[in-house]
Amino acid sequence: MNEDRPTVADLPTVADLPTVADDQTAARVDRPARRAPTGAAGSFQPRIVGFLCNWCSYAGADLAGTSRTPYAASVRVIRVMCSARIDPTFVLKALAEGADGVLICGCHPGDCHYSEGNYKTMRRYPLLKRMLADLGIEDARVRLEWVSASEGQRFADLVDDMTQRLRALGPSRIKTALATDHAER
Amino acid sequence: MDQPRIGVYVCACGTNIAKVVDCDAVVRAAEGLPGVAVATTYKYMCSTPGQEMIVADIEEKKLDRVVVASCSPRMHELTFRKAVKKASMNQYYLQMANIREHCSWVHGDGVEATQKAIGLVRAAVKRVAFHEPLESRMVAMCPNTLVLGGGIAGLTAALELADAGYQVYLVEKADHLGGNLARVDLTAPHLDSARDLLRERIHRVMGHPHVEPFLGAEVQSLEGYVGNFTATVAVPGGNGAGPAAAEGDDGPTDGGGATRSPRTLEVGSVIVATGYREFDASRITHFGYGKLPNVITSFEFERMVREGRIETVEGRQPQYVAILHCVGSRSQEFHAYCSRVCCMTALKYAHELKSAVPGCYVSDVYIDMHAFGKGCEDFYRRSSEVKTLFLMYGKNDYPVIRKAEPGDDCGMLIEVSEQLSGELIEIPADLVILMVGMEAREDSAEVARLVGISQDKDGWFIESHPKLDPVATTTEGVFIAGTCAAPKDIPDSVAQARAAAARILGKIARGSIEVDAVFAEIDEEACSGCRICNELCPYSAIEYKADEKRSRVISALCKACGACVAACPSGAIRARHFTDEQIFAEIVGVLA
Amino acid sequence: MGGRKLQIALYWGAGCGGCDVAVLDTNEFILDVAALADIRLWPIAVDGKYRDVEEMADGELDLTLFNGAVRNSENEHIARLLRRKSRLLVAFGSCAHMGGIPGLANLATKEEIYDRAYLHNPSIEPGNTTVPLAQTSVNGYSLELPRFYQRVFKLDDVVDVDYYLPGCPPAADQVRAVLEVIVSGVLPPKGSVVGAGDRGLCDECTRTKAEKKIKEFRRPWQIMADPEACLLEQGILCAGPATRSGCGARCPTSSIPCRGCYGPMPGVVDQGAKLLSAVTSVIDSKDPDEIDAILAGLPDFTGYAYRFSLPASLLQRSVRS
Repeated sequence: MNEDRPTVADLPTVADLPTVADDQTAARVDRPARRAPTGAAGSFQPRIVGFLCNWCSYAGADLAGTSRTPYAASVRVIRVMCSARIDPTFVLKALAEGADGVLICGCHPGDCHYSEGNYKTMRRYPLLKRMLADLGIEDARVRLEWVSASEGQRFADLVDDMTQRLRALGPSRIKTALATDHAER
Repeated sequence: MDQPRIGVYVCACGTNIAKVVDCDAVVRAAEGLPGVAVATTYKYMCSTPGQEMIVADIEEKKLDRVVVASCSPRMHELTFRKAVKKASMNQYYLQMANIREHCSWVHGDGVEATQKAIGLVRAAVKRVAFHEPLESRMVAMCPNTLVLGGGIAGLTAALELADAGYQVYLVEKADHLGGNLARVDLTAPHLDSARDLLRERIHRVMGHPHVEPFLGAEVQSLEGYVGNFTATVAVPGGNGAGPAAAEGDDGPTDGGGATRSPRTLEVGSVIVATGYREFDASRITHFGYGKLPNVITSFEFERMVREGRIETVEGRQPQYVAILHCVGSRSQEFHAYCSRVCCMTALKYAHELKSAVPGCYVSDVYIDMHAFGKGCEDFYRRSSEVKTLFLMYGKNDYPVIRKAEPGDDCGMLIEVSEQLSGELIEIPADLVILMVGMEAREDSAEVARLVGISQDKDGWFIESHPKLDPVATTTEGVFIAGTCAAPKDIPDSVAQARAAAARILGKIARGSIEVDAVFAEIDEEACSGCRICNELCPYSAIEYKADEKRSRVISALCKACGACVAACPSGAIRARHFTDEQIFAEIVGVLA
Repeated sequence: MGGRKLQIALYWGAGCGGCDVAVLDTNEFILDVAALADIRLWPIAVDGKYRDVEEMADGELDLTLFNGAVRNSENEHIARLLRRKSRLLVAFGSCAHMGGIPGLANLATKEEIYDRAYLHNPSIEPGNTTVPLAQTSVNGYSLELPRFYQRVFKLDDVVDVDYYLPGCPPAADQVRAVLEVIVSGVLPPKGSVVGAGDRGLCDECTRTKAEKKIKEFRRPWQIMADPEACLLEQGILCAGPATRSGCGARCPTSSIPCRGCYGPMPGVVDQGAKLLSAVTSVIDSKDPDEIDAILAGLPDFTGYAYRFSLPASLLQRSVRS
């Protein structure tokens, strides 16, 4: 096919065209260009693994995209259908693999696509945080937040806020600590 | 696992992705990943040539996995699933990396965005290697439908289905049909009689060979899944006058007041049309409802109109009538939403008052006049021409109603901080009509739990998609219609009811339904019967087999949320398409 | 293994000796073993010197049952030595398998442990600041003590392990069954967990299980537990759902909740995380404050969840500095 001469079939489907949620249009025009914190210029860019539920939080993160709301390039999102799927093992795994932070997002309580999935997350999280504290993991590294499908701005703000806190905290020592244990033996 | 042959397709999305993310760098990084046989970039992967490229590669280059790095999977996962299916690849061998909404559209720094895109692609490549071919299954579709609620929405849906020749069970909690509409006199904006709208429908429902109505009845339980529900309906004793009793009845016959055993109904679909309740005006103290006898609600005014006697509690015709909008709606303390029907209803009252009490002065005290429906703006214009005094008050700046002094020629005085003039205006009133808004019924949480659907923060039932699928719910086979989903007027309720019926007729026409291939499953060889999972499922999809001491997932009921999977301490429950291995691979991938 | 007698060694690393007693608990069977095998090393029961082992040819031993975790350089040294001399090395008991009780020391740093054990302990006379040193010089002689590692390791962190026999200690009948299998020469796949079931403990626990909803956690001494009903359903934290069977559910049968010594089920990566997920998921509340209040009934949950498996968990140790 000829790369230079697009055909009709080349055009994206209608659904693909960038869309802006109605209530976001004004905000997008009026909002002063905000610079998301970048990891450039030598500052430490933390690596955050985000576990987001498909129906609210992932959609909220998508909305941040369609509304062109900038935020730090620190977060890498893994989609699950419901925050209740997030086995605490996933959080430990991410930390052991070198994540500087883990952000868990689900629908607001009462708004769960699966009625009550987020309540299971709500029950697991405090004990997980206690366990992490016992294991010397700083409070700011793991966070649970409720983000609805309409809260693109909130998702962006959360990522930026967490990024700033992790930057203040510095890189996670877990992965290197586990490696040096063996080296120093 | 054999080394997979993965094709990686990086979409430029015109310039949407390419202007920030270096797509060629992403391709080069992908080429270096284990298992990647092909990696390429193209300007629109979702276009026909883009999809054809994937199809051709699968066939010619013998790919067995595909990663598309483009927009959100919520946008185009189905598109690309269809594409790989065309090449006879199992559709679940696809994984998407979201490098547009989650990357190029939100990150300005090209270097960082490209690094992130590479991380997301790496995660997708690692994950897709663990994907398994999944097949959806077909189950039979029972053509009967259960309709909850006998208001205008429920009646309409029932008739739509019954007229098509399919059995409908209509369950109404009250002892009569008609719902809230039966409490109304005329309807806005055309001033049609509500009675006329309902009478014909109720009559047809009661006599319809394919509708079995249950009055004063309640659904006790709903089990099963789309196409195959079993409902239990409690019909109170002494209701033998209802036509339900005339039909063949499984239970013992009505012994004149004796409680009958519940009816068990086999249905394939459910329409929830349980309606709304009116806002309790006494919750707002400023308006004196319950204390000032001539402050009444809109429904109390409807009753006056229907009885043909518009008068104050003292038995006098009112000289001055004030209509107060947004009672309980559009406020910080009560409901933030607009109840949608009150503005036009208020205008209708102005008309009714003018014709019933000629010479009476009507003031209409509103926040904003919402006249969005067909014919509504005309209706508003006509109303303003018949000498109604319109006063605009501010949100949360409530007018204050007080008793007039003996010397005044009116019963009450209303102080309004009028927005358009910017003045504090006092108006006389003998009768004040509070336009009470709609709110979710007190039993809505119970209904939601019963049929397995969700509610929003205001208690309204949540649709599958607010714009594209406003009829279905997240529980397949359960539909919503009318004001149980959100405030709406009669045409919208009727439209939603007919749409719900049409959706069901479509399913019935196909005869069988596809059950999603993504669900949880329990490895009974690994299950210890600890029963941690049993209570966790909101869909009752997990059954415990006491004789074998094992739990089992009824796959057709499972919605694949994964709550039980995360909780299973034996690691015996697998979430198809969201397995631990797949998610671990993603974790390692994004962090590598 | 021919007509030759089996050559076996038993050794304890960082352990309590309970595993050795578990071998003795096989009663008369140990005499059968002695008839079939030469016990070449067993510090708790048989006199012997490390030199005797060092002088063996590589692979001269048929089997080593290694119990105890790896806490210091001596543990590791002997583990490596025995690995070289043995055709089969079995991680015997929870400590060798997953780190065990000694592995809980990984919640503290080496410095904290020294401080508590040697400097600020009520039984230490004030002013005594003696701590163990790897090298000490006394009267011109250089003395050496094993080096205390920063943290506890499980056996397979330092050497290749053929089989794992879990338990604290392993149940005597399981020890016997495993020894019989090894004597028979028909061996399971390398890396197998032997002498244990593949399902959770609940499978062999005879208490009645119902749907679970927990409104309050209670310590075992706070209630007279119903002898028939599941302990967890009575609010007593029991690790049984997240622990392999094989012990015969002896603890819950005696109204003592399972502590998890047989380790996680096959395929489960982190026993503590799984126990956490399971017990919190069934908390009967949707209110964050009430959930906190309920969880307050689980003091030292981390210590309970990882009582035997911290060094085998994903995070392995506290990273507190």
